[in-house]
Amino acid sequence: MKSKKKKRQDDFQKVKLKVGKTKPKADNATNTNFRSKGIHLTEQLKRDKSGPTTHRQLGINELMSQLHHYNANVKHGALLGLKELLSVNPSLLEQHLSRVLSEVAAVFTDKDGNVRIVATRVLRFIAQSVPAERVGPFFPLLSAHLSCAMTHIETGIQEDAMKILDVLLEHYPALLAARPAVLLTNFLELISHRQSSSGAKKTQDTKGRTWALSVSLNRTVTSQQWRLSVLLRLGRFLQAVVEEKPVDQGDTSVGTEGVFGCSGEDRLAPLFLNWEELTYSKIGVKVYEHSGAKPTPRSTFKLRPEMDAGAAVTENLDSAEAVQSFAATLVPLLLEVWVEASASESPWDNNEGAHLLTADAMSVMFQVLSILQLLRKLAPQQEHQDALDAWFSKEYLADFKQHFMKNFPYGAQDTPKHRRKIDLKRSKQTAAIPGLIVEPLALNIIICQVMVSLSQRQELDRETDVDWLMLLRTFVRDTLGNGMKLSSRQLHMLLGTVWKMVLTQRSKTVTDDLLAAVYIYYKQRNLTLQTRSLLLSFYSKLYLQEQGHAHIARSKVLCRWLASLPVQLSQLGHRNPTLSARLIQSIHAAASRGNKDLLNSLQTHACKLYDPQEGVVVLLPAESQIQMVQLLYFLPKMPQSLLANLSCCCTAGRISAGLATSMIRIVHLRSSLSCWSVGSQEAALQDVDFFSFLFSTLTGFSFAKLASLQDAGEEEALPCSPLFPISLYPVPLEQFTHHWDIVEEVCHCLETLGSKSQCYDILQNGICKYLIKLEVVPDSMVAGLLRAVSRLVDLSVLTMEPVLRFLSKCCLSLIALVVTLQQEEPAETNHKREAIWSACVLVLSSVPRLLRMVLQMMRVGDLSEEELPQLGQILSMLLQHAPLHNQLLANAALLQEIIQNLTRYNRAATREQWVTDLLYCYSLTVAHGSSAHRGNLGLRDMY
Amino acid sequence: MSSPLEVVVTSDSGSQLWNSTVFDLYSGSSLLSYRGGNSSARTLSLLRGEFLLSGQFGKNFINVWEIQRKDQLQQKIVCPGVVTCVTASPDGLFLAAGIAEAIYLWEVCTGKLLSVLSRHYQDVTCLKFTDDGSHFISGGKDNLALVWSLCSVIQLDLNHTPDPRHVLSRHSLPITDLHCGLMGAQARVATASLDQTVKMWELSSGELLLSILFDVEIMSVTFDPCEYFLFCGGTDGNIFQVSLCSQSLSRDKSFQSDNDGNQVFKGHRNLVTCLSVSMDGTLLASGSHDETVRLWDVQSKQSIRCLAHKGPVTNVLITAAPANMFLPDSRPAVPLPRFSRHLHTSEGDGAESGEVCVRLAPCIQEEEETFLQKADRLSTLMNAVTDKSVFGDGENTKVRVAELEEEVQTLKKINKDLYDFSSQLITKPT
Repeated sequence: MKSKKKKRQDDFQKVKLKVGKTKPKADNATNTNFRSKGIHLTEQLKRDKSGPTTHRQLGINELMSQLHHYNANVKHGALLGLKELLSVNPSLLEQHLSRVLSEVAAVFTDKDGNVRIVATRVLRFIAQSVPAERVGPFFPLLSAHLSCAMTHIETGIQEDAMKILDVLLEHYPALLAARPAVLLTNFLELISHRQSSSGAKKTQDTKGRTWALSVSLNRTVTSQQWRLSVLLRLGRFLQAVVEEKPVDQGDTSVGTEGVFGCSGEDRLAPLFLNWEELTYSKIGVKVYEHSGAKPTPRSTFKLRPEMDAGAAVTENLDSAEAVQSFAATLVPLLLEVWVEASASESPWDNNEGAHLLTADAMSVMFQVLSILQLLRKLAPQQEHQDALDAWFSKEYLADFKQHFMKNFPYGAQDTPKHRRKIDLKRSKQTAAIPGLIVEPLALNIIICQVMVSLSQRQELDRETDVDWLMLLRTFVRDTLGNGMKLSSRQLHMLLGTVWKMVLTQRSKTVTDDLLAAVYIYYKQRNLTLQTRSLLLSFYSKLYLQEQGHAHIARSKVLCRWLASLPVQLSQLGHRNPTLSARLIQSIHAAASRGNKDLLNSLQTHACKLYDPQEGVVVLLPAESQIQMVQLLYFLPKMPQSLLANLSCCCTAGRISAGLATSMIRIVHLRSSLSCWSVGSQEAALQDVDFFSFLFSTLTGFSFAKLASLQDAGEEEALPCSPLFPISLYPVPLEQFTHHWDIVEEVCHCLETLGSKSQCYDILQNGICKYLIKLEVVPDSMVAGLLRAVSRLVDLSVLTMEPVLRFLSKCCLSLIALVVTLQQEEPAETNHKREAIWSACVLVLSSVPRLLRMVLQMMRVGDLSEEELPQLGQILSMLLQHAPLHNQLLANAALLQEIIQNLTRYNRAATREQWVTDLLYCYSLTVAHGSSAHRGNLGLRDMY
Repeated sequence: MSSPLEVVVTSDSGSQLWNSTVFDLYSGSSLLSYRGGNSSARTLSLLRGEFLLSGQFGKNFINVWEIQRKDQLQQKIVCPGVVTCVTASPDGLFLAAGIAEAIYLWEVCTGKLLSVLSRHYQDVTCLKFTDDGSHFISGGKDNLALVWSLCSVIQLDLNHTPDPRHVLSRHSLPITDLHCGLMGAQARVATASLDQTVKMWELSSGELLLSILFDVEIMSVTFDPCEYFLFCGGTDGNIFQVSLCSQSLSRDKSFQSDNDGNQVFKGHRNLVTCLSVSMDGTLLASGSHDETVRLWDVQSKQSIRCLAHKGPVTNVLITAAPANMFLPDSRPAVPLPRFSRHLHTSEGDGAESGEVCVRLAPCIQEEEETFLQKADRLSTLMNAVTDKSVFGDGENTKVRVAELEEEVQTLKKINKDLYDFSSQLITKPT
């Protein structure tokens, strides 16, 4: 108490002010002697300079954080900003991909519809700009959010999830299909609900089915349309899964031809090498992996039965059982969907209108069927697919027949009465769900495909099957036969149907009936390339199947088709090389199997095909040319006209020299002189024809061409002169090389024919008969002739005098040509010069009389001044060639005379270089000769 | 003179005096020659080391000699057409021949014609068995090579035509020769064709491993036993050697060409019809249409020896010398029955004629198991040592004996059941 009082007094102590003293400062006086300065919170005001911003100056970090905002408008704005930011700065996306994706995915399940729509848009934008392999790591997250959205309790979110799915399906089908199991269950849950086990027990009629279609009342669309849109996505998803399947099935994708029951060609990449590469060891061959001890995993031998994947049935769809169990769940649902759709469409049950469907019902049915079709393809392997088909037909054939086949060829129903009203609505809806409009034709075709796959090869069920198969057959036949416009996909499906029917039904009438329809379609004029090649491959694959299917082999239509192939090939010409290649392939296959019809037709058109001017063989690209040449082997007969064409082909230079040589060898193989004969095969050509073929190929110029050369003569050819006793026509270097390769091959052929001497006889007869009279000759031809003579000559056969004279003229001219070539352009013509020189020297050393004649022909007196050095050079070249020494020495007297004349006629004051060279060579040869004098004596006897 | 280890059996199509000749591989001296006719290409075959078979040139029968009797034919197997190729399975149980488009398969022990496979569209050119006899491969003029599984072919079920296991269809002209490597069903097959390629396939999967394009047609092909090299004989008389496992890792090799095993044996002047490599892979024998057989050293690629013939050489075969070949007094362990011309009909399934058809070599029929069994045996062998050391004798042996006895019981029971069943089947009045 006391202290309180005291305190109070303290509080109100009176301050005494005295005069003359400064007033004490009040306690609460403000000290004003400070200076103020502005405080800058730079952090707050600074714009986000660390990265680019939107037009609202928001950087990516703000946008990200705003996505967590409770307000829908802020989120909406943030998403829009994000899209803007990313589209302006694509590099940001690369840096922040993981965050962007996770944040955007998180708003898939946002309560606000607008946010979801924008989120979808952002996702689409991201998907467009980021490739699949970069999204891959984040995809589990995305798909988790997607599942979340799909299974969300709010219908709006479910519906939007479909749109997200669309985006993902469009851009990342592979990623989505990698883990199909969860999504598939989600799909089921979208249109149906799992009945609790007790419920299932109560309703016995559902046969233990645990799923039933669900109807939700608070959707904005009818349940019919909802199901349709879900089925559409399911269909696309399954398509993605099927396309992604790792195994060989190339056949499932749309455009390929494998559908016709043929598995992919091969999965192991074989090595293709050729010998030149090997010799220069550019490539190392390694055929054996694991040092060859293990077989490749493709082996068809199984060490032990595969482990059954029992536990993981629904995890993956890579086992047949999993697919089957999934199908067992889905198919009843699909059927139910269709039943409900059809019931709601046609409440009046009149018979005449039952096959007409409205567009909605049609698209429902189309989706149902295409999903069924895809389910079949889900089976991991071919044999599983067969098993699955069998299972389908066992379980559901009756249902399918009842529901789909009852009113089979469906048509579109016209609804003129209440069109107006619905049109508006419908147009809106169809715009919302793209790809909804289904033609009745497509529908019918897919029914065919599904149903035919169910028709099994059961003899017992034949009778019961017949009626509906009849229906299908009629439809297919009519569709193809009427020449309707079909898209290539539709055609592909129809052909698949035909294929299956032909293979399963095994009756000749059915086969011919169907194939005739296809043939009508095939014969149409204006088909696109794709269609045409599709049809071609259909037929050729069918033909390859003939073994074990007598009804296919005997089919008249197929035979007619085969017979028409050569005509088509010749008519096609060079216009479409790819199509021609296909045609040739088919012809090749049939020819190798010895198909009579084809071979006859080929025989009749052979001349046209192998025409040297406008035949297919010269017009097509190189690969097809090879095949055409190989096709020659299978021709049953090679008449003279054909051989003439072939010979022209060889020499005309429009096919490569290598190909020309293999053509010669193939003709050789088919002659009776061929050494390779297995079994009894008749020779395709007569020996006489074969020889004339070889001879004309050896000459390299047709008779007409030679004749024209004689007339045109002088301006192109080197003129006649003492050194050129026969006028030479120099061919271009390229042609010379080409011809030289062919000459070598012809010589090899002639050598191996058997008796060399007889061949030589034939050759000189040929020369004597056709060539001797010529005055202008191409240099390639004479070089070839000399080469052939040198390789074939046999001392036991006497060469005819006129031939010898002709050859000696040629020989001298050629040697002179070599000399002139050497002076003019040494580098380019190297090969040609060597070839000619070697041919000349060889023939001179192997036919001694020829050498003498050549020497006799060197009359120095007739030569002009400029030609003297040339002759000198010729002589010294001959003298330098060692293998000729003996022969030259045998003609020593003649040689000496020539040289004496040369020195005499050379009126130049000083001794020129060439004279010195010549004399030196001569003295060397003579010196060599005197040491080997004894050998000479023997040689001289030969003359 | 001690008898040689390996011999070369050759035949040509021109000789008047003898059909085929046996040479010593190392000395090149002629040891024996068999009389009678001429053999056509790819038809010379040894059966069980006791018989020599060859298809007569251009005729429709197969000559059979007992290997020690060179003067006289044991029999002529008359066939319905010209024989294009003959081969016997390595275990000597089956004989296959290509006759026009069809392949005929006989069972050697009974002489029955088991099946006629007419799957080729044109003449069959060559036939080869795998070394375990479980498969055989046929090549034809229709550009196809077919791989047949023997057990599927010899099923008695006649109304079911057997299908080949694989169809090798990548050649574009007739197949001239094929060769099958070792390792049974896991072997590699090389096929040569007129389309200038040699292709190598994996037998087990039927897939193409390698395709080599040459400048000339290839008429003959073979491997060495290790499959290091592929030898291809061309129409121009060259033999091309392709190294199949080149170790091209070394970096300083690039300037030296031709040392990587891809080389050419030069010497023949006409097409090389047949090739064969000795057991140790050092010697290569080649027959050609220039009427010579040449022996080459593979390492140095030189022609060691040239054996002249009287006509185009049709067959060359290097083989281990059969025991009976040089013992004139010996005779085959099992006589060869007459081979039948007609397909064995399965009416009555052998019950009427009083004979029971026994298929030998059960292991061939259950191939999937054999690999397992082999593995099992291998593992038991490997474990045997540890088993012995870890488990002593005493108690374990007893347990083991008990187990084995039990197994014997089971087996006996199975056997009895089988017997009962079959006897019931046979005695049952039909």
